[in-house]
Amino acid sequence: MAEMPLQPPAAPPPAPAPKRVVLPPHRQRAHRPWRVRAREWAHRNLFPSPVGTAMTLGAAALIALVGAGAIWFVFFDADWEVITANRWLLFAGGYDHGEAWRLWFCMALVFALIGAAYGMWSSLGRKDHLFIALAGAFVIFLMAHGGAAPWSSIWFLVSVAALYGAYAITARLPRDDSRERQMQVRIVGALLALSLPIALMVLLIGSGTRADDLDGFVLNLVLAPVGIVGGLLVGIPLALGRNSKLRAISWTCTAYIEIIRGAPLLGWLFVALFILGDVIGGSLIVRVMVILAVFTGAYMAEYIRGGLQALPRGQNEAARAVGLTPMQATRMITLPQALRISIPPMVGQAISIWKDTTLVTVILPLRELKGNADSAIAQLEFTPDRIEAYVFVAVVFWMVSFMMSRISQRTERALGVGER
Amino acid sequence: MTTEELIAEEAEQKAAGAAAPEPGGGPGGRRDLSGNPDMIVCEGVSKWFGDFQALDEVTASVKEHEIVVVLGPSGSGKSTFIRCLNRLEEHDSGRIVIDGIEMNEDVRNLNAIRSEVGMVFQQFNLFPHLTVLNNITLGPRKVRHLPKHEADAEAMQLLERVGIPEQADKYPTQLSGGQQQRVAIARALAMNPKIMLFDEPTSALDPEMIKEVLDVMQELAESGMTMICVTHEMGFARGVADRLLFFDEGALVEEGTPEHFFDNPREERTKLFLSQIL
Repeated sequence: MAEMPLQPPAAPPPAPAPKRVVLPPHRQRAHRPWRVRAREWAHRNLFPSPVGTAMTLGAAALIALVGAGAIWFVFFDADWEVITANRWLLFAGGYDHGEAWRLWFCMALVFALIGAAYGMWSSLGRKDHLFIALAGAFVIFLMAHGGAAPWSSIWFLVSVAALYGAYAITARLPRDDSRERQMQVRIVGALLALSLPIALMVLLIGSGTRADDLDGFVLNLVLAPVGIVGGLLVGIPLALGRNSKLRAISWTCTAYIEIIRGAPLLGWLFVALFILGDVIGGSLIVRVMVILAVFTGAYMAEYIRGGLQALPRGQNEAARAVGLTPMQATRMITLPQALRISIPPMVGQAISIWKDTTLVTVILPLRELKGNADSAIAQLEFTPDRIEAYVFVAVVFWMVSFMMSRISQRTERALGVGER
Repeated sequence: MTTEELIAEEAEQKAAGAAAPEPGGGPGGRRDLSGNPDMIVCEGVSKWFGDFQALDEVTASVKEHEIVVVLGPSGSGKSTFIRCLNRLEEHDSGRIVIDGIEMNEDVRNLNAIRSEVGMVFQQFNLFPHLTVLNNITLGPRKVRHLPKHEADAEAMQLLERVGIPEQADKYPTQLSGGQQQRVAIARALAMNPKIMLFDEPTSALDPEMIKEVLDVMQELAESGMTMICVTHEMGFARGVADRLLFFDEGALVEEGTPEHFFDNPREERTKLFLSQIL
């Protein structure tokens, strides 16, 4: 505004006197013994009114009841031998026990990569250490119970050490814009992407086990990442394709998504069992992997498309205006932002497919953790212990789901820099 | 308006204009740009959105180094007009020629035009997932294929020019609106455009931030950039513009120098608009 009179330079205001901040009584810490503060806290939060007091007491009674019941079940009532006696069956099923080192090696590799990923892009907090400690205690108890060979426990401890070791190294690397950092990011990213193929090679080549014979918890651990990563790889082009201006492409993608979502996963698993073999051939587990990726992809595509639609139109316009091609604009501007927006629903889908890996048990030749738990309680001496077996399976699934949820929160935060 | 009339008008301007080397010389002091080549030529440009005609046979041209301000009520087609100039909107009929390059289906032409025309948006449209520096260097690195250190150095110079070099490593959302818009200007300049388009660059800003953006635009005008600005800042229009275009209902209703426009408008619709806005 050319005519706007210039403001005369204002004299700097006199330094303000330091303001005395008066906190409300319950925030004043100094000179007040903790006992007084605790009483006030309890009064404010637990017993603010007759109704509040009643609710506090009711909730406390409920918690005590459930907690006592749980403790009684876990430590006194339950007979955990169904788990400890069958731990190899549950963990790896028919996998040759003599080749166990292959499993332990893969565990150490995955743990190290998790540590490296945390070190590169995030950080381990108090809650993470607590989770690792509790889960570790759980696993060690399971492995060492009944005087089994100590090797499994030692390998587990080595894996945890690998996690912290990789974390200690990567967390110390400077997170700047330098070429070295880009290189490090590429290395860790490539290792993460290759971890599953590497693990599969270690597990299968020369071990005398065929892919179709993978069994137990190991099978869940192999199938879920294939479904999740494969789903992403299928979902991204589908989402972009459905938004395409070319009718043929967008209709094809829409049809794919609607058809896949129109039937339950169980139905598609039967397709893998009875139909897909004649179409693409391959072993059953490969067909199941394809179905998992195809199925998850349809859902991922819709979440990503939602993310793309949430972006203001100006993002694409600005990218085009600085001269990027449509492909570059998608790859560098809209897709990264859309993926970030759709992390929460995509992780929901990932957790969902993780639990849905139990469905492969229905396809008889494949037996994952839940299927092998069924086998465990089918043994005569363990038939009364089915609750123990299923509680154990539930806890294991919960632990992995919880870990995914934590990692997703971290990913969101790590990518959230410069959030709009 | 025909080309003959345009030429006649330019001749008029030439006659009226005393030699004022800089824009912003104020009323009475106009630059003589009639000898400059045409940067933008539009002939009978029309554009429909469905049944709604957004542009109605717009014929206009812009000379090199000229500062043109586009005015008009909302929905008058002024934004559509400048968005057609770098093909964010595709015109349905008529001709648009930018610096001698015909705008048509040819993708090579389109890319050539996009690299000559910088655009600044009302909503800034910075990339929120990139730092300020990377917002600016993205185009140079990916389109002009500059190595990173050169692109960074150029970007820092541009940030100096718009007055916020210290914000280079921040993310857009950490900046005020005025700072964001200055980054957006720097981002557009990083492609070394010959023409800058401004689509209501100050309309989304708090009043106290408008001046910092207008100052940058004025500096740009003084440096000889060819500029087309859609704006409601009448002070800027009067002080910096060489010529004003007034749009209403998709048509170019009236054009002329700021003096002509503000002091002596010819058309009733222009008078009505001015009476409402001033």
